[in-house]
Amino acid sequence: MFGGNGAIASALREAAASIRVAALYPPMNENTSRKTKVSLEDLLRLKRAEQPPAEFWAEFDRGLRTKQLAAIVEPRPWWAPFIRVGTRLARYQLPVGAMAVLAVTLLTVREYRPTTFASMEQAGPAEIASLTAPTAQSGKALATDLINISLAPAMSTAVSESVPVSVAVESRSIQPALNQSTALGSSSHVAMVSSELSSARYMADSLAAAHATNPELNQLLGQSLPGNDGNAIRSEPLAQINVPGESRRSRFLGGTAWLASASTGSSALQPNEQATRHLTERRLSESDVISRIDMDGSRLTVKF
Amino acid sequence: MDAVKILGKTLVASPERQLEADSDVEVVKRVQNGDVAAFDQLVTKYRGRVYGVIYNLTSNREDAADLTQDAFIKSFQSINRFQGQSSFFTWLYRIAVNSTLTHLRKNRLRTFFSFEKINEDDKLSSEVIAALTVDTAADHETFARELQEKLNEAMQKLSIRHRTVITLFEIDGLGHQEIAEIMNCSVGTVRSRLHYAKQLLQSELQPYIRR
Repeated sequence: MFGGNGAIASALREAAASIRVAALYPPMNENTSRKTKVSLEDLLRLKRAEQPPAEFWAEFDRGLRTKQLAAIVEPRPWWAPFIRVGTRLARYQLPVGAMAVLAVTLLTVREYRPTTFASMEQAGPAEIASLTAPTAQSGKALATDLINISLAPAMSTAVSESVPVSVAVESRSIQPALNQSTALGSSSHVAMVSSELSSARYMADSLAAAHATNPELNQLLGQSLPGNDGNAIRSEPLAQINVPGESRRSRFLGGTAWLASASTGSSALQPNEQATRHLTERRLSESDVISRIDMDGSRLTVKF
Repeated sequence: MDAVKILGKTLVASPERQLEADSDVEVVKRVQNGDVAAFDQLVTKYRGRVYGVIYNLTSNREDAADLTQDAFIKSFQSINRFQGQSSFFTWLYRIAVNSTLTHLRKNRLRTFFSFEKINEDDKLSSEVIAALTVDTAADHETFARELQEKLNEAMQKLSIRHRTVITLFEIDGLGHQEIAEIMNCSVGTVRSRLHYAKQLLQSELQPYIRR
């Protein structure tokens, strides 16, 4: 049929081909109408189209080769394997840190408490006993120093108010001195407080005993049993003192009674008796004995 | 066809992935025996995908290039520790994702965008842009650039973990199980993060969504 006229045949062939193409590839507007809906997933897949150009990879390979050679040549540090362990444990850093803080806190509290109580029990009688341990020379020196320290605060208040020195008059004035004396063997503040309390108790006991045996002391101290106001005690001795010798002896006895009670914690009768044994009226009235009691500002020195 | 694709994505390992993993085993063994050239084969095979993941996480082409190179270096240095418990692809992805997460955490305050150009030959992107600009007289190129910025901004508003899940699932086309292996979490965690990330992106990109 088409053999005779070649031009018509080719035209017909082309027309048939175009019809076939039109049937296989529908026009563009049908495609776009299919894609009128745009979902979130479509938008996210847009990011797949964000691609680097072809020349990017040549430079990438070059850079990678350089880094590869550097990694081969450069020796790894000795701690490099531990980084792996560290990164694995990194997820547990918060609970491990919290546990560490808790453990340190518990250990600190545990160490602190027994140390505190132990020092409170041991420091008081032991340390004070060591202070008054009878040795030939150190004992005297210690006693001198102790009285210096202990009488200093009492002296400061007495001098300022024109009251003669009276030891063991007021626990408040002596507490600092006690603290200092106990601090010789203990560095714990809590230990000092506890020993302070025990010493105050001893003082009260010894005072009570001293009052019972020495009526002069009663007069001087103004019945200074625990609970009495220290201010009343301060004012009374000034009015009471008439005889210098008696007052001096009373003061001295009161000091030794306090000292002995603080050191041993036992009844003040024994130290008191010992003190009186060595004391005579004559000795006290002697000028050289009196001269051994030296007052310097707020400090009273007694030499044996 | 779409349902099959979705189902294929959520299954443990697609056949293509399995074939890919099997072919990698021999190459990895050669690298472990000292054949450095064999490692180049792995680099050429996976560099595009690794770069794509890191770029979508950072939205910065320079950082993505550096981090991709670092990921390959690390895998090269640790190749002897690879025991084949997972596929080389999963192992490499895990190194790349972890390196990127470390980098992002260190530079959290410094966010600098540097975009790649959208490939105009990509059919899907041209269809989407055409669909979005059909009612407006906006220029396609200008609109594409604007859309790209909005997309990356929305992605950066996600947390690092949510961004990773979205990138691996929606952009890279990995399955839930594979993502769970890469991120070292459970499949349920992957699903919940994916759901939450999609909700956030939906609200951010609402003007561009046509239902």
